[in-house]
Amino acid sequence: MQQSSSTSTQPTALEKVISFIDERVGLKTLQAKMLNEPVPGGSRWAYIFGSILLFIFIMQAVTGILLMFYYVPTADHAYASTQYIIHDVDYGWFLLSYHFWGSTAMVVCVFAHMSQVFLWGAYKKPRELIWLVGLALFGLVMGFGFTGYLLPWDQRAYWATTVGVEIMDKTPIVGDFMARFLKGGPTPGQMTLSRFFVIHVMILPATLMGLAGLHLFLFRKAGAAGPFRGSVEELKVKTDYFFPRQVWKDIVGMVTVFLAICAMAFWEPVVLLEEATPDPGDYHPEPEWYFLFLFQMLRLKIFAGEFGQFLGAVALPGAFMAFLAALPFIDRDPERNIFKRPIALIGWIVVMATILIFTVSSIINREFLD
Amino acid sequence: MPAGYDGMTEQEALSPVKLALQLLWFTFWTGFPIKLAFALLFLAMGLINFEARIGLAFLMILASPVTVFALPILMIGLDSHIGEGVGIGLLFLLCIPIDIWAYGVVAKTYFLDRLRLEPPEGIGLSLWMKTAVVGALYLPILWLVVGFTTETAISFAHSLFEIDFLKGVPVAERIGAQLVLWGTIATVVLLVMLLVGLWLIGRVIQNAMKRAQPVSGSYQGRVMRWDLMRVPADQGLMLTAFAGTGIVLSILFWSALPATTPRPHDCCKKPEVKTQPPYKAIDALNKDEKVIVQLTAQLEALEKKKAEEETQGKSKRKGNAGKEPAKAPSASAPIQSESKKP
Amino acid sequence: MQPKLKSKVRAADREIGEVTRVIMDPLSREVSHIVVSLNGSGERQVAMVHVQSVSDHLVELRSAASEILALPPFKRDDFVTIHEVEIAHLEENIHVAPGEVLVPLPELEKSVKRRTFFMNFTHAIGFLIGLPIAYPVLRYLMKPMYQPFDNRWLKIGNVGKIKQEDVGVQFKYRKQVKEAYLPEADIEKNVWILKATSPVLEKVYQGKDMEFRDADGKTVWLNKKEVPYIAFSGKCPHLGCGYKWRKHKLLGQVFLCPCHLSIYDAAGKVLDGPAPRPLDALPIKVSAGGDVQIVDMEFKAGTKAQIRIV
Repeated sequence: MQQSSSTSTQPTALEKVISFIDERVGLKTLQAKMLNEPVPGGSRWAYIFGSILLFIFIMQAVTGILLMFYYVPTADHAYASTQYIIHDVDYGWFLLSYHFWGSTAMVVCVFAHMSQVFLWGAYKKPRELIWLVGLALFGLVMGFGFTGYLLPWDQRAYWATTVGVEIMDKTPIVGDFMARFLKGGPTPGQMTLSRFFVIHVMILPATLMGLAGLHLFLFRKAGAAGPFRGSVEELKVKTDYFFPRQVWKDIVGMVTVFLAICAMAFWEPVVLLEEATPDPGDYHPEPEWYFLFLFQMLRLKIFAGEFGQFLGAVALPGAFMAFLAALPFIDRDPERNIFKRPIALIGWIVVMATILIFTVSSIINREFLD
Repeated sequence: MPAGYDGMTEQEALSPVKLALQLLWFTFWTGFPIKLAFALLFLAMGLINFEARIGLAFLMILASPVTVFALPILMIGLDSHIGEGVGIGLLFLLCIPIDIWAYGVVAKTYFLDRLRLEPPEGIGLSLWMKTAVVGALYLPILWLVVGFTTETAISFAHSLFEIDFLKGVPVAERIGAQLVLWGTIATVVLLVMLLVGLWLIGRVIQNAMKRAQPVSGSYQGRVMRWDLMRVPADQGLMLTAFAGTGIVLSILFWSALPATTPRPHDCCKKPEVKTQPPYKAIDALNKDEKVIVQLTAQLEALEKKKAEEETQGKSKRKGNAGKEPAKAPSASAPIQSESKKP
Repeated sequence: MQPKLKSKVRAADREIGEVTRVIMDPLSREVSHIVVSLNGSGERQVAMVHVQSVSDHLVELRSAASEILALPPFKRDDFVTIHEVEIAHLEENIHVAPGEVLVPLPELEKSVKRRTFFMNFTHAIGFLIGLPIAYPVLRYLMKPMYQPFDNRWLKIGNVGKIKQEDVGVQFKYRKQVKEAYLPEADIEKNVWILKATSPVLEKVYQGKDMEFRDADGKTVWLNKKEVPYIAFSGKCPHLGCGYKWRKHKLLGQVFLCPCHLSIYDAAGKVLDGPAPRPLDALPIKVSAGGDVQIVDMEFKAGTKAQIRIV
């Protein structure tokens, strides 16, 4: 980008302000360095998911803060205040439904982003650290979903959380301490709600912002991995800058996701069940849809019994996450073309298919529950 | 052969399925954000009510270049629904120009970049017409075949687990095994049918390719061509029109969006308030006036009658003393009760 | 090869100028061209293939001077400086500056002993800054986690409600609890009470009176095995859901938990499902008039051993 020499006409007021700041901040250089990152092989629609995740997080933060204007995190008022938001506050139902479906969108995009990085082999050297921080971010997103789910304090919220925390209790040695810490006591109650609220609204967002910043910094340091095939000539010919081309694709993606979440808010607005009671009554506890596959897995006979539950709920998922973390160190082959990495491709298909099968099974299983 | 024309074989080597897949995939997603904006507006206005089959509805709208004519056939002929509301029809009508435009953009890019051919004039419209017809004819067949196979597979899987050997399998394992069984069968059949459909569309594209002239020039030159195609001639006009449309749609959305939830919980349903018809004083007065006039006329008639009878009765008075006083109060009583009414 | 800026350029036959700029390929991060400023005759962009050798002050070209002059003039507008774009891993690959730019090291920092002492002291203080808070914070967070047990007897109804033997009857009751700062509240709970026949009693007690302990291990109550009434805690020992008394198509009348389909017989023994232990019996007292009292205890869900938590 050539910096044109000053013409004979006077600089406009805006130009004067910009050069004032530039003199002190190095704005133009900073801007150029931030925005003019060449993307080898050109900007791609496959790369949009990271930016979309950032967008969804910001929308969740905004809608979450708006909800906090009316929501009260006590066992006495959580349900009533949530119902107030839904039924009385103007467009409250829409904002709450947006927040709810936004969390679903976040999980879907997290899976899409992780899959894209995996299939493109963008976890390999020198990008191992980005992958590790990304896995931590994945855990945080799951944590957000789990803690936020309790806040409306209706039957679904209370019981899904109770079951989830009891499952965590199965971990040997630290399980009891962890479960009591989360519950704020031996049984779920007001203490639980207070703790989940703090975690959901302060601890997780702060951690997420920090780790997301680190994730972006590491990504810029390593540079975009680019497509996994293509001649050098093709890569050169199609190279363009991050701004505006990739940003344009990111924004279109963001708009699409935004519209989709709004549409979901119309299709299925948030409707609470009855207020939480210590006895589930006729209600069958069920976690949020992205945990359903684990929920169904725990119904299998091989995971029966105390140790079995620990195995299915904590050990196996834990081992899988550990495997993912070790992946860049196990898989040292620099080949990134997914069609030349059969094990990786088949592994990905198997994992996705398994999750899908267990999730659908869990839905079918609802009819067999009485 | 003209310079830069590198091998017809390379283009012929591109199978119809691959051609169709690449062209359709990009066309679907190109049009999708615009369709979604209108779908959202219709949802807000309450013109559409997608039922449980939201996934199917999403796929139908995404793939609207091929489903636009197939959908009515499916909904009427095969009696399957994706939702209620006039908005669905409207949405698909709107999809037509969107799809033609999307086809044009994607086809021109693809022809220049991968096929090294000059995109023919009006390729968007011609592709749309042909693929919509192919879709209209093929999708009902696909629907029937896949539907039938899935149902058969499901009942097969269920009956398989009725046999003695497998009867004792616990619920969760049984559901999983049945799902894998019929799921695999259904998926394979669906994939095969989709491949056939893609092949058909690929042939359509190959026909379009035959009409196209080869294009010369370096790769960089061709890439620059399709890239710069996206920059409008009059940027100001295009950006203003786009922003303006966006603002209008947003305002429509704001006015249509219901302020309280369309699905209230039992706890907080708004009571049905029947508005009383407004009380118009002047009408009441007029009505009462009319009533008074009517009653006075009645009274006069009665008094007249009474007078006549009196003259008649004078001759008969010796026998009928009690009758007259009874008439007068009864004539006045209705007047009293009428005046009490308003 | 990394030609240094400002180094002289010599063609095959004579010296022609000096290197004024270096052009890098952003994909391979190698030097692709040098820009030679010809003494007075403008600049030429020379590809590295023309370069024969590179030393600190000299770049030797293969081609003759006339060939270099014949190249088209250098177009500065086709390029941007590395300050105007972000190229990852640039500094590691490009070493074309002909020297270093230095700033003086402060005198005080020259003492290694001084530096190491303050560095270690900073680490020590940093460690200690957090330390005093750590313990109070831990106790602060842990305050509600371990509660003393509530061993009150609660009246929950009358056994007159139980019409048949060996059939589970649900007794719903309200318990007053005080949680932290909250005002005293009533919570709804339920237990299942059986009027048990002796075979069922035998299964439950297995010849011994049932002992119930407090947090410190002290026994607080014994359920005598002769008392024909058994009270089971309303929470399933698998994960805490409320279970029901239902008719199962194969196993007859059983306790059935809807969450994960744990099935128990009338004596609370596990017939099917993921339950790790039988149903938890509670301390029970039945007065002469039939009034039932229980101690509301809760036990940890999902463990084989029965661990009391409330």
